[in-house]
Amino acid sequence: MSQTEKAEFLVETRGDQRALDAFVVAARFSRDGRTLAFAMGDGTVRLAPVADASGDWISVPVHDGAVLSFAVDTNADGFISGGDDGKLRRLGASSAISDIAGFGMKWVEQLTTHALDKGKGLIAAGVGKGVHLFDETGKKLKEWTHPSTVTGLVFDTKGKRVAASHYNGATLWFVAAKTDTPRKLEWKGSHIAVAIHPEGEALVTAMQENSLHGWRLPDGQHMRMSGYPTKTTSLSFSKGGKWLASSGADSMVLWPFFGGGPMGKAPIELAGGDGINCTQVACHPKEELVAGGFEDGLVVVSDIASSRILPVAPPGHGPVTALAWSPDGTRLAIGTENGFAAIVDFARRAG
Amino acid sequence: MADAKQAQSELVPVTVLTGYLGAGKTTLLNRILTENHGHKYAVIINEFGELGVDNDLVVDTDEEVFEMNNGCICCTVRGDLIRIVGGLMKRRDKFDGIIIETTGLANPAPVAQTFFVDEGVKARTRLDAIVTVVDAKHLPARLADSHEAEDQIAFADVIVLNKTDLVTPEELDAVEKRIKTINRHAIIHRTQRAALPIDQVLGRGAFDLSRILAMEPDFLDGDDDHEHNEDITSMSFEVAKPIDPEKFNAWIGALLQEQGPDLLRTKGILNYTNEPRRFAFQAVHMIADGDFISEWKGGDPRTSRIVFIGRNLNRPKLRRGFEGSVAD
Repeated sequence: MSQTEKAEFLVETRGDQRALDAFVVAARFSRDGRTLAFAMGDGTVRLAPVADASGDWISVPVHDGAVLSFAVDTNADGFISGGDDGKLRRLGASSAISDIAGFGMKWVEQLTTHALDKGKGLIAAGVGKGVHLFDETGKKLKEWTHPSTVTGLVFDTKGKRVAASHYNGATLWFVAAKTDTPRKLEWKGSHIAVAIHPEGEALVTAMQENSLHGWRLPDGQHMRMSGYPTKTTSLSFSKGGKWLASSGADSMVLWPFFGGGPMGKAPIELAGGDGINCTQVACHPKEELVAGGFEDGLVVVSDIASSRILPVAPPGHGPVTALAWSPDGTRLAIGTENGFAAIVDFARRAG
Repeated sequence: MADAKQAQSELVPVTVLTGYLGAGKTTLLNRILTENHGHKYAVIINEFGELGVDNDLVVDTDEEVFEMNNGCICCTVRGDLIRIVGGLMKRRDKFDGIIIETTGLANPAPVAQTFFVDEGVKARTRLDAIVTVVDAKHLPARLADSHEAEDQIAFADVIVLNKTDLVTPEELDAVEKRIKTINRHAIIHRTQRAALPIDQVLGRGAFDLSRILAMEPDFLDGDDDHEHNEDITSMSFEVAKPIDPEKFNAWIGALLQEQGPDLLRTKGILNYTNEPRRFAFQAVHMIADGDFISEWKGGDPRTSRIVFIGRNLNRPKLRRGFEGSVAD
């Protein structure tokens, strides 16, 4: 990202883009960074080779219906997919598909994974009011139920706890606990997404009433973050947890989680001012950078400290529904409701 | 943003099917789905559905109602519908409309309010009509033992008065009269085995402001018929003189605020002073929606009309309020 960069869109000069003709539900890079997967509303997953993104992308039919939830596998090269056909499936980089579990007519709407040492790992799927925990082989370890449908699911950084959002708050489950007595974080209302601070300092949910709610985990103190014109659907903590980026306003809204914040502190707003709402945010895995996608298809990357904006994809592709950074942070994947999909290589020389 | 400007026709129509267990809801649903109309429907059914539903796209849900934290005490919405509509939109090209079947005991208000309150749902769908199936034989007993049966009739745009073969003509007339006492503004169809033309159920546009009060079966007809002493009643009022928008807003705003929990549905067409267009207005409990629609036609009388369906309606007070909105 050189200073000489003009206000041109990087996707044109350093990107590979496709029209995939279906709703892009999610984009994920495999843990080894070699494969990029776009999970689609038509039930397919499109696999792109990262080192040769201009080459063939493979379309693999995974679900009879739409993909609703999608995550990287606990291994180096695969993915896990949940669909509205009630299936939880594993997709290898070689396009091999296997079943992990089936839930009848219930939708598999939430999915999160965590890779542990020595090839071990955990897969958690939210189906209705239940969260089902599996090991890396797909063996079921636990099932936890909640008072209402699980709307968000996330592991903490160490994979020791899983947080689930639902009506009237969130529940923190301890993966290794012998007796399942979770920590209940309560706040009246409908919570629709969840994020955990990378250092475990806070848990934040998005709420139906266009606001965020947070709990400081050491002491349970409540935090209110409001002022959004629409619902927040995307939350992302920056590396180290200094900032929490969020969608739902006509800019990327970043709340400070340092110096006593976010309480009593104003958030910073990046790439705002044109009245178009931000729909997706994704913080960079290594630097204090954040990518934001907007309702008109615009994608930008911003340096948080300087607020400098780098235009990545122009408007006109429909609402951005997926953004993902590669594990090394050199590439950004973009997907929209209209089926626009792209991979942008920040390390590649323009040309 | 761009979504809000989407043409009305691009929005997915949603039909809500309510009715007590055994009234014939699922029979009607299966009729709609198997009829040769060339349309595909996504069907959202509840976990306790009575019979199988034969359709490609059926979503099984658990009705999850919650209260909005927006200072509106009766504003409850269905969180499960917000999620499911969002999920269905990921394969929008696979269906033409959505049909929601509620449980027999459901109050239709949270379903209806979901379509007014949630911006994501509002941007992609439009509520077409609330259709209530009632059983001609058992309705009197249902009305006697539950609030919900009455609520379902009061909320309805279309009432399918089913199982008419199980009652005598006199009983049928009596039950229809009771329905009209609760909701004089719904269209009633007498059926056996829920057989009726599908266009009487789908594509009604009952929540379309431009069609509000366009299909009133008998406006102002048979007022003050309180012989059954129903808990819920409907009342309608007309004024011939032009309405002052400020006075009307002040009155209706205060009324909805004060009596919102009692007012199930309110609809009106208003003749604003110095305004060639008609102003259409509707509310479900406290949640209101209004806009200018087409111009008054040359020969038509410019009469402002308003309809209330609810509990504890005070006719003289409502009339005074409405008449008080007339421009000086």
